[in-house]
Amino acid sequence: MFVMEKKINFVKLLKNYRKGWVAISADFKRVVFSGKTLASTRKKAKDYKDKLYYFPSGEKYSDFFG
Amino acid sequence: MVDIVTTKYSPLPGVTSSIILVPLIPVTLIYGIREFSGLALVDSGATGGLISTVIAEDLGIEWDNIPVRYGGCIGGLFRFRPIENLKVEIYGHTFQLRLAIGEGLSPYKFVLGQADLFHQAKITFEEYKKQFTIEFRKLN
Repeated sequence: MFVMEKKINFVKLLKNYRKGWVAISADFKRVVFSGKTLASTRKKAKDYKDKLYYFPSGEKYSDFFG
Repeated sequence: MVDIVTTKYSPLPGVTSSIILVPLIPVTLIYGIREFSGLALVDSGATGGLISTVIAEDLGIEWDNIPVRYGGCIGGLFRFRPIENLKVEIYGHTFQLRLAIGEGLSPYKFVLGQADLFHQAKITFEEYKKQFTIEFRKLN
């Protein structure tokens, strides 16, 4: 099966979040939970049933050489 | 299960420019009964994949008990610890991966490279279209 995935717009998603971690919905359209650490964000999402993807917020990504 | 996936590069906030575009994919790491789902940078220049110590702790890995090793990167040496028994799920494909836990990773906390993802799939970067395609190998 072939799938064309849409881009995930982290600029829009992370716009209002300071340094920490966010939990993003499985359709990648909204931030459901956020916290200063991954552990605190996980704790907030403890009873949430749907899949979440965790990503660091408040980072700057340009000029990366890897 | 998806065999071929084409994904547009994801816009991320930058420093000198407001937006940069990078190849990221959704990945679930499985270690025993614990799982971590996140977005990994697909890095054709990385010899192997890395996760941060924070992600390792989330998976319940006592990383500071694993003997430290030193690896090279473009800026010098970095400390890492190899992980055993780690599985990943990517677009419905589940397989064992060789990953390492890197100390002080920034800004990317989760990177997949040649020794792991690139053994499981053919990956084609089309920079001019700002997209990349992952074509999983048929191993059975």
